[in-house]
Amino acid sequence: MKISYNWLKTHIDLELSAKDLADHLLSLGFEVAGIERLGAAFSGVVVGKVLSKDKHPNADKLAVCVVDDGAKKWSVVCGAPNVDAGQTIAFARIGAVLPGDFKIEGRKLRGVESQGMICSRAELGLPKDNDGIWVLGEGPALGSDVGALLGPADDVLEVEVTSNRPDCLSHRGLARELAAYFKRPLKPLASAVKELHSVTASVTVEDPAACPLYGARVIDGVKVGPSPDWLKRRLESIGLRPVNNVVDATNFILHDCGQPLHAFDADRLAGGKLVVRRSKAGETLLALDHKSYALPAGLLVIADAEKPVALAGVMGGEESAVTEKTHRVILESAYFAPAEARRSSQATRLRSDSSYRFERGADAGATAAAGERATALIAELAGGKPGKVVFVESRQPARPPIRATVERLNKVLGSDFDATAVRGVLSSIAADLKDEGGAFVFTAPSWRHDLAGPNDLAEEVGRFLGYDGVPYRMAPAAARAARVTPVEAESRRARAALAALGLSEAYHYDLLSEKTLAACRLDSRDLPRVANPLSEDWAVLRPSLLPGLLRSAAYNLNRGADAVRLFEVGKTYGLKGAEPQERWRVAGLMLGPVLDARWQGARAPRAGYPDAKACVEELLSRAGVVTWAKLGDAAAGVTASDPLFHPVNAARALVGGVPAATVGWLHPRAARAFDLEREAPVVFDADLELLAGKEAGRTKFAPISPYPTSRRDLALVLDRATPYGRVEAVIAGLKLADLQDVLLFDVYEGKGVPEGKRSLAIRLTFGRLDRTLTDAEVSASVESVVAALGKDLGAVLRS
Amino acid sequence: MTRADWEKSYARVEAALQGAAENAADLPTLEEVRVRFLGRKGELTELLKALKDLPLDDKKALGPKGNALRESFDAAVSARRAALEDAGDAAALQKDAIDLSLPSLRPPKGRLHPLTTTLHEMAKIFSLLGYSWAEGPFIEDDKHNFSALNISDDHPARDSHDTFYLAGLPWLLRTHTSTVQIRTMEATRPPLRVVCPGRVFRHEQLDATHSAVFHQVEGLVVDDDIGFADLKGHLQLFLQKLLGSATKTRFRPSFFPFTEPSTEVDVKCFFCPGTGCPSCKHTGWIEILGAGVVHPAVFASVGYDPEKWSGFAFGIGVERVAMLLHGVRDLRDFYSNDLRFLRQFDEDLV
Repeated sequence: MKISYNWLKTHIDLELSAKDLADHLLSLGFEVAGIERLGAAFSGVVVGKVLSKDKHPNADKLAVCVVDDGAKKWSVVCGAPNVDAGQTIAFARIGAVLPGDFKIEGRKLRGVESQGMICSRAELGLPKDNDGIWVLGEGPALGSDVGALLGPADDVLEVEVTSNRPDCLSHRGLARELAAYFKRPLKPLASAVKELHSVTASVTVEDPAACPLYGARVIDGVKVGPSPDWLKRRLESIGLRPVNNVVDATNFILHDCGQPLHAFDADRLAGGKLVVRRSKAGETLLALDHKSYALPAGLLVIADAEKPVALAGVMGGEESAVTEKTHRVILESAYFAPAEARRSSQATRLRSDSSYRFERGADAGATAAAGERATALIAELAGGKPGKVVFVESRQPARPPIRATVERLNKVLGSDFDATAVRGVLSSIAADLKDEGGAFVFTAPSWRHDLAGPNDLAEEVGRFLGYDGVPYRMAPAAARAARVTPVEAESRRARAALAALGLSEAYHYDLLSEKTLAACRLDSRDLPRVANPLSEDWAVLRPSLLPGLLRSAAYNLNRGADAVRLFEVGKTYGLKGAEPQERWRVAGLMLGPVLDARWQGARAPRAGYPDAKACVEELLSRAGVVTWAKLGDAAAGVTASDPLFHPVNAARALVGGVPAATVGWLHPRAARAFDLEREAPVVFDADLELLAGKEAGRTKFAPISPYPTSRRDLALVLDRATPYGRVEAVIAGLKLADLQDVLLFDVYEGKGVPEGKRSLAIRLTFGRLDRTLTDAEVSASVESVVAALGKDLGAVLRS
Repeated sequence: MTRADWEKSYARVEAALQGAAENAADLPTLEEVRVRFLGRKGELTELLKALKDLPLDDKKALGPKGNALRESFDAAVSARRAALEDAGDAAALQKDAIDLSLPSLRPPKGRLHPLTTTLHEMAKIFSLLGYSWAEGPFIEDDKHNFSALNISDDHPARDSHDTFYLAGLPWLLRTHTSTVQIRTMEATRPPLRVVCPGRVFRHEQLDATHSAVFHQVEGLVVDDDIGFADLKGHLQLFLQKLLGSATKTRFRPSFFPFTEPSTEVDVKCFFCPGTGCPSCKHTGWIEILGAGVVHPAVFASVGYDPEKWSGFAFGIGVERVAMLLHGVRDLRDFYSNDLRFLRQFDEDLV
């Protein structure tokens, strides 16, 4: 809200600078976003005309102009690119003082005498409009003072008023707040309406709860015309455009004391009457903004005998508006319930200075007085004879007074303000503060809708006496130790584990487009959608974290990255009937060289399935018994496929038979969708909530044998299709007590190995805690391994 | 052999030894020289052996002389051998020279997102003050997001919460983490101290300072005698831990429907000496969080007796703090997932 300091001073005497006022307002809870200085911050600048422009003999970028200031002609050197003969300009004569105490003197510029300066707006301290000099339009007389064109000096403050303080949405309202704060009087308002005729408006209020107060008065014989300069200047100073004397008077009163008013052309009202009623289906209103609004049934409107002529408290209608032809005005001053104004404004998406105030709460105690003031002003400006006011009023229940003690307010604040100071604050807000048995009784003024209980009064005390007066207190911590949720603990472990494996953490929006879902063939039927998305790109809540990661992989590749390793911990969504579902998951993606070492060239290994598998193994390290199955392996109980994973090269980890994670190559279809075909990313996705809450338990130390171990290497030839995992499973099935480790150290296909076969080289390590094994013992174990692998998998030793 | 003969031989051997070891060109030559004089049949060996055939007096007189000659030759051989070996090593070492300036090879290092580390840094400070971690759903109902927080249906405060609603369902995406206050109080009896960090959603067009998705850390303390002073104490301590012990704070009145009294907390600008700069919008102060004493209506909505319990709540924007801490100017960078951005942050998970 814009507040003109000059205007404010018509309500309260203040000697502060605008900057100091802004500081006080801030400590009262009103942020001042900016202060605009109006009027001239310079002197000695007059309107001049450029008669001629010639090149400067010694400088390419300068011109020598002859300027006529009405009295004399001056030679002026000017460097602005836009200066030209014939222009009317702001001319700083010798002796002029520009902002920053810059005095203009006659001086030589590159050898040519300059007798003054042609000014840019910036040089005059005005908002810049171009990079050159300020070209004034035709009109102002040569030699007249440019400062006078700008009007008197004023400071306009952009004050931010929080939604609980509608009473401060006007000059008088803010002055009242400052009067209470500085304990200074508000200047009295004079308004006397002489009733000159007895014609009254016909007013019916059908819904008194929605409109508890409705005042209307006929003003006959007005002469609509332009407003006087003082009124225009007031309105322009806060950025309003003057319209005519009647409309300007109502706007002035709104910004002066906060009461929205409306003036109807009485002769344009059908049946000459006003009815405050609910809108009916199909009704429309052509509003003052020249737009037509279809009104849903049930909004509060002002209607004439036929149709709505105003949306109550929001905006009047074009067809009953005051124009130059208007002779009879009906002036409305009413109080509409906040919820009504808000509902109407929301339903029509129509906002106005009126609706802004009504929906926050106008001052029902000032409705009548504002109508009187506006009437007097219209009579003064437009002539006309005011009649008798019609005031339809339904009694509203009085708000209960607040009973509290000084101790109670100090308890809310944790402060120790003394009783006199506290009472001083409260009585400056409510003059009739009473005492009743040690407690005070505070009756909130009609304009203070925000004061309802002791906490509200505590805030007033805090604001007026200053939050700085409240001590810093550190209550001892609760005896209960701070905890984190299991999911949060698991997220931290997952993040640390994946970062240690070289993946960086990504943050994506939770929303995806239908297009992305379709490209990934993700089932979008059971997903929650946003009713009002910002764009199609963010319409559906994500069922998987992977699309975001894939997009970011492509993004980074396009910007020169050759390796991308990203993970995200985030929520995924679904629907179970009408119930939205959320689940924490963790997913990741790897592509490109594993080492950050380009100079190693082709020797640097690239991320593949085993790298992604390592991530999942880390994530599942506390999960207990994990079983692995290929995606779609019905025999292992994994029937479901996953549209993002490669149908063949992907595996699923199950914990207790429940799918916990999936890892593998990206499905070629998804790779194409994100333009990642050549990069062959590997991806994984795990259910964080399933893993959460698993206790790791303490590490139990395992003794290390002092006796040497025995190693045996075997090169096995098997069918190419036999998974290595089966080799480990067969060996494990033998339950060899002394077998400490099985290590795969080579996988080979090619020369020396038959077509369709491959060689797996494994190293078996044997040992005991209590003694050294004999050769015979080790050999017997190895033979049993070879025999079992031969029998179960058809493995033969490579010769 | 007579003494005179021996002395003659001695003089000859001594002369022959002169420079013999020192001049050996390489290790085999040195060994030849050593064998020539000190081998089993070496000239110096023979000379020393001959001493035993001389009379006792001569032996006593000449023995030390002979031994001294052997020792000095021994020393000369050892010195020459060491010198030749060192020279040989030096040549071999040069041959093996590698380029020490090649870039290091290391396992890849993953980075945590700056919003994660910022959020955890804040939550950790509160954890030390006894605040437990609480969470709630991102998809919320109107009650938990608005009405239980004293934001009624027709309250203008809703205007500042541009909300995403779910299509065809009575749900919305939470606009603040204050929802978790309500959920925590519904589930727990006081006293309590919780932080509710997490993701929130606003229907806002994206620009350098606005995002449709962002993060907050909400806090709530409820006990039997909590006032604005506790809020000041806790939050000042928090801000000084987060931004440095010299941090100056300013508590100024503000408005939130769910707290009364309410405050905005500013910290003295740490980019300029208080004279004003773009970071503090030329005010010398940086707005950092909102807070207040819990509104009695909020307690009433969760069944806490407002006469018995009191508390304070606060909310801090994680992005804003991360931008201040790391000098990030555009909020959208946090969601770009550009590795050139992520790679710069090397904070530990705290």
